[in-house]
Formats: sequence, structure tokens, C-alpha cells
Amino acid sequence: MSKIELRNITHIYESGGEKTQAVKDVNLTLEEGTSNALIGPSGCGKTTLLNIISGLLTPTEGKVLIDGEDVTELPPQDRDVAQVFQFPVVYDSMDVYGNLAFPLRNRDVPKEEIKERVQETAELLGLVDKLHDNPGNFGPEWSQLVSLGRGIIRHDTTALLFDEPMTDVDPGRKLTLRRRISQAQQRLKVTSLYVTHDQHEALTFADKAAVMNQGQIVQYGSPEKLYEQPVSTFVGNFIGSPGMNFIDCVATDSKLKVGSFEIPISDEIKDLLDPSWTSLQVGIRPYQIDIADEQREDKPISTTVTLTEHLGSYRIITLKLPEIDKEIKAEVPLDEQVEVGDEKFIGLNQENIRLFHEGQAIENGGE
Amino acid sequence: MKNRAWWFLIPSLAVMSLSAFIPLMTVINYAQYTVFPGSAPQFVGMENFVEVFQDSVFIGSLGRQVLFSFEVLLIEIPLGLGIALALPKKGKWVGWSLVLLGVPLLIPWNVVGIIWRVFTRSDLGAVPKIFQWLGYGGYNAASNPGDAWWTVVTMDVWHWTPLVVLLCYAGIQAIPEEFYRAAKIDGASAWAKFRYVTLPKLKHALILAVLLRFMDSFKIYAEPFQLTGGGPGNSTTFLSIYTSRKAIGGFNMGMGAAISIVYFFLVILLSWLLYTIMLNVGGGSSK
Repeated sequence: MSKIELRNITHIYESGGEKTQAVKDVNLTLEEGTSNALIGPSGCGKTTLLNIISGLLTPTEGKVLIDGEDVTELPPQDRDVAQVFQFPVVYDSMDVYGNLAFPLRNRDVPKEEIKERVQETAELLGLVDKLHDNPGNFGPEWSQLVSLGRGIIRHDTTALLFDEPMTDVDPGRKLTLRRRISQAQQRLKVTSLYVTHDQHEALTFADKAAVMNQGQIVQYGSPEKLYEQPVSTFVGNFIGSPGMNFIDCVATDSKLKVGSFEIPISDEIKDLLDPSWTSLQVGIRPYQIDIADEQREDKPISTTVTLTEHLGSYRIITLKLPEIDKEIKAEVPLDEQVEVGDEKFIGLNQENIRLFHEGQAIENGGE
Repeated sequence: MKNRAWWFLIPSLAVMSLSAFIPLMTVINYAQYTVFPGSAPQFVGMENFVEVFQDSVFIGSLGRQVLFSFEVLLIEIPLGLGIALALPKKGKWVGWSLVLLGVPLLIPWNVVGIIWRVFTRSDLGAVPKIFQWLGYGGYNAASNPGDAWWTVVTMDVWHWTPLVVLLCYAGIQAIPEEFYRAAKIDGASAWAKFRYVTLPKLKHALILAVLLRFMDSFKIYAEPFQLTGGGPGNSTTFLSIYTSRKAIGGFNMGMGAAISIVYFFLVILLSWLLYTIMLNVGGGSSK
């Protein structure tokens, strides 16, 4: 249980004289005992950041603090951090018991205590009846549990780091594994960081999530906040499936113009707009778009349905705004009659929209 | 035949029967006759086999053969593994190291024998000179059985350790980096990493290396033949040299065939034994 702080972390990979900046000036504080996620597209620097925390990598610049103590130069074994890798690591030269005992044996823990702690950890993870099996024959979900067990068996574990642990796991087993991981995390109250590019995984696991893009953390907050108040079009698009829609518009005196349609805006928002900004983007979540068969005052914009996708309990339809040649997605209930080629009318209710200028959200008065 | 796949085996089965099955049958047939070129074969049943096992030269060669193979394995496997572990994992030196290591593998057995014969000649060879500097003036592979023996062992180690290195090196390169990262986080010492990660992961490469080296060293012929012709005395007479002496030197084809069969089963039996033992050592991932 520790607080983990990253201060101005920058990491540059060098190979063959070519430099790649993987992480750029990252600052992040993980509070004691919290469960956190780090999400972002592949190649955005998530794993690099994780390896910097565990000590497998030393950052080019910046500091890593665990409970206020500078551990930047410490090797992994002295940081007492546990890490579960994308590729499940089990030592198939030992049985499950041997695997769990391995970190303790390496630290010369007395035999009796090892026995006790292996039992305790196995109970927590549901591995008791597999203690004498060879993990080399396990599927990835059990291997990952053994791997997690090796991490948490040390009582002094400062942090639990997960590097896309579900990648190899069968979709059907993901839920069970995720539940066991969360249970263990909650019981032990270990500060944890879960790296993934799957937002569902991240948002169900974590109290708070950091979204990373091109080596930088673009937003860190609760799942709700990331969803409702994305700070940039990147976050808006990345979080949510499908992501937020963005429609180009022009700001005039008290209105936003989308093609020839006009959306009234409140004075509050108007105050935030710089008069020099001519081009803005309206962001709206697919579930917030209501469609109507006929044009009404609150649904003035004409669109054409170009695609409908059945997603179980609802449908995602693609609408084309012919005037500005833009396609957006909307979520509609199954009983709504929609066919490709239909003309539908939508509105952009100012309570549901979020405005962006050059990709950055125009914040309406802070939090 | 229900399964069409069997038809595709016909070409390789045809080649196999020409190259292995038919000659083997011929040899089995020969082994039951007394055959000398120029005279009619005479059926003798199992007599040739009985005679083989009663021949003290055969027993001596067999003992030497087994000793030689195990000595060679005991040296080549740890040495090869050690060199493979010491080789750089990446960078510009990898290519150079591998090419240099591979050079002995490119040299034919005969040539290796000739090289070492020149090397060890008491009048102009480098080896006696070096030993002289080191204070052992009496080195002579042609007259001293101990010198001849260790020279053949050295030749084999020099010639074939690189093969073990290459097999182990390939095995080491195939171990995912994550295992070492996890071991680091688990606080494993260098020895623990070797014992619990590297060695178990190299098991299959090592089994292959041991089997290849065993079978090959058990059939050694050209090196001792070129060096001293199996001498001095019978001190480097191995099974293959003994066999060819009987069959070709002594024109005793039936006897030669019987020895060949015994030899053949010995190689299979010992290889199977080694394989079974190694597969069960350390338990684990062999399935």
C-alpha cells in the first residue's frame, strides 16, 4: 500500500542512432490503495510507463517516488512492485506451489512461513486445488492468476502493475479473471495500475483512469468524467464505443451554424468563446442523439441513414449530413423503425453537446 | 485406404525403402551366413553373433566407444551451453561470432583428421611443440595411447562443440524476454534465473544436442582413422573402425553384417535411453 508519484517522466528509446520519444513529461500521482487504469491506443507509451514504475526501465528524465521516496535508480527487486505481463509468465519447471513460493524463496523466507503464505494466496485466488499442478499446462487465465499470485504473495508489495493481462485470455473467461483480480485488489488494498487498450476493461476495473496518447497523459479522472467531460476530441473519440461524434460548425453572435442549420447557445457558453475562433467542433455522444421522422423546431437537421448495425439490445445507425458531407453515429432503440436510405431529423440539444476548438474542449467553468 | 493422406507418403516411403529398408534386410540376411568373396555363402544361423560377443576386440572397442561418447558429451554439452550463454544476444558481433564458431562445422571429417595429424606430428606439428613448452616433452600421438585418446577427444570437441553452441544459442534466443523480467521482479538471483528459466526452457534444445552428439560420436570413424588408424595398438579402435576392419579388411562379410546389426541396435537403445532420461529430468513442459 503505497502512494506512487511520477514526476516529469520522459523516456527516449535509442536504437541504431535513431531516437524515439516514447513518454513525454508525464506527471501522475496514484493515491494509496486506489485502483487505476492506463488506457490509450497501441504504441502510445503505456507499457514504457509501466516498466518505468516497476523499474525494468530507468527513465531518461524525471523521477519515480514511492511513498515520497525517490526510487528512480532502484532495481525492480528492491521496489517490491508486482507486475503481471501481457504474455503469461509461469515457471513450468515448478508446480503452482513452487511458482508462488519462488519470490519468497529468493528472499530466504523461512519454510514454515512460505507454506502459510502460499496457502493464503492460493485461497485468495482460488488456486488451492491446483497447487500441485504444473502451470505449464494451464490456459492463459490460470497462468495469469499464478503470475498475479507471485506478485501479491509478498506482504510488502507496494504496487500491482498489469500490462494488458487479458490479451491472451478467451473472451468467455475474461470476466472471471477480471473479477478475481478486482477481488484480490480490494482485499489487499494494493495501489494498482492496469494498462490496457480496452476501455471496457479499464473502466470496470478502475476507480480512476488515465488516458494516454503519443507519450502524454491527456486526461486522468473517474470513468464517468472521462465519458461525460472529455478534455479533447481524442479522449471523446477514444472513450465510448462508438466514440463521440464531432461536427464542424461556425460560431456567430449567439448561434452555432452547422451548414445552414442554427443551434442557439447560452450566454454562459458564449462567454467562453473567443471571437477570433471561427471554426469549432460540436461533440455529442451517440446515445444523446434523438431522431425524428419529421422536421421539428428542436430537430431541424436533415440526415440520411446510410448504415444500421444491430448490437444486441440497441442499434447503432450511421447518419449522413449531406450539406457538410459528414457521417455521425446514433444509438437508437430496437423498436425504432429505421431503414437505410430513410430521411431522419436530428437536433443538437445544447445541454448534451460539448464544444471543442482545435481539438481541445472549451471548458464551461472548470469542474 | 480411407485417409487420402497416406497416398502422399508413398514417394518418401519408396525412397526410404531403397535407402534404408532394403539394405538393412540384406545386412540381416548376410549376418546369418559365412560369406567370403569368391566362395558360396554358408548358412550359420546365430553363430556370427555369438562370435562377435566372444571377441575381446569387439568388447574392448565397445567399451572405448561408450567411454568416448560419454567423455565427449560431458565436455561438449556444458562447454557449448557455456559459450552460448556468453555470446552476445544482439548487436553487430552476433554475426561474426556465429560465423567464426561455424567454421569447424564446415570442415569434412576426413580433413579434420588430416589437419590434426599434421598438427600432432612429432617432427613438425604444433601440438608437441606446445606441450614441450608447457613441460610435457613426451607427447606422441602415434606411440602413446593416452596421447592418442585425448587427441581424438580434443578433435571431436573442437569439431562439434560449435554445433551444441548453435543449438543452445537458438534455444536461448527463443526464450521470451518476459520470463527474465518476471524473474527480476521476483527477486531471482543469476543462478535462480539460469536454474528455473533458462535451463528448463533449453531442455528440448539440449536433448537434441545430446542425441545428435551421442549418435555422431558413437559412429566416429574418420578422425581416429586419419590420426593413427585406430592405434597405437587398439587404443583408438572404435566400433566403426573395428567393423570395417572385419568386413572390408578381413573380407568377413557375414561377421561384418552381424557387428553392424549389433551396432545399429546399440545406437537405438542408447539414444532411447538418453532421450527417456533427459525427458523426465526436471519434469514439466515436455508434453
